[in-house]
Amino acid sequence: MCWLSPLEPSNRHQGARTERFDGIRNWLLETSEFREWRYSGGGADKAVLFCSGNPGVGKT
Amino acid sequence: MPLTARNIGSLVIDSLCDRAQEANIAVVGLYCDSLSQQEQTTTNIIEALLKQLVGRAGIPDHLRAAFEKGKEEFGGRGPRLADLMGMLKTVIASLPQVFICLDALDECLPKRFPEILVSLRDILRESPGTRLFLTGRSHACVKEDVQRYFSRAVVIPISPNPNDIRNYVEMRLDRDSKPEAMSNDLRVDIVRVILEKISNV
Repeated sequence: MCWLSPLEPSNRHQGARTERFDGIRNWLLETSEFREWRYSGGGADKAVLFCSGNPGVGKT
Repeated sequence: MPLTARNIGSLVIDSLCDRAQEANIAVVGLYCDSLSQQEQTTTNIIEALLKQLVGRAGIPDHLRAAFEKGKEEFGGRGPRLADLMGMLKTVIASLPQVFICLDALDECLPKRFPEILVSLRDILRESPGTRLFLTGRSHACVKEDVQRYFSRAVVIPISPNPNDIRNYVEMRLDRDSKPEAMSNDLRVDIVRVILEKISNV
């Protein structure tokens, strides 16, 4: 499949995961916004979640 | 900057992937990177998502045929965006639920935002159960663009939290390669000064 996209996300994900301090951002997973997005089944209303922050705040 | 280590996108992707099998969901995603802006075309992004989705289930014959055809034309022109979108929509519609995560969207070229977002909106219209997770800088125009194309998008602002910073600095100090060179007073000072500096940002 090498003629497919040159973007290789798995390498980047490994790097991001290694750098991450586990537990530090778990509050996000507990917010009602995240939970509604994650578990709202097929509803189109809660389909898009956008996390915005300043540079270096750790969005990745 | 210590806070770059706190990775919202990878956290969300991991939390989804950890339960992907039992929850019967498929998770695909990309980390955008300002160093790869030329490569981050809408076509390549859609291709990458398609590649991740079909990679897990083997490549359907019609996809293989489309790519083989693309390789023959003009000595290797890939499928066009419209073809890829059609394939991606078909694959997504055949799955119970797909989560798409695009991290650091603001690192793509701003002129590409509309095409990328329109493509994602098309996918969601076709398969309304699909979930889209995006991250981006609050000061970049990406937030306005996201809200323009997804008027019901839920926005979560990510701001430095003093507790998170304290925990992170403590973790880094615990991992210091020469802990004996640091007295407890110095350690307390380091944490205090960093927290003061951050609160002034």
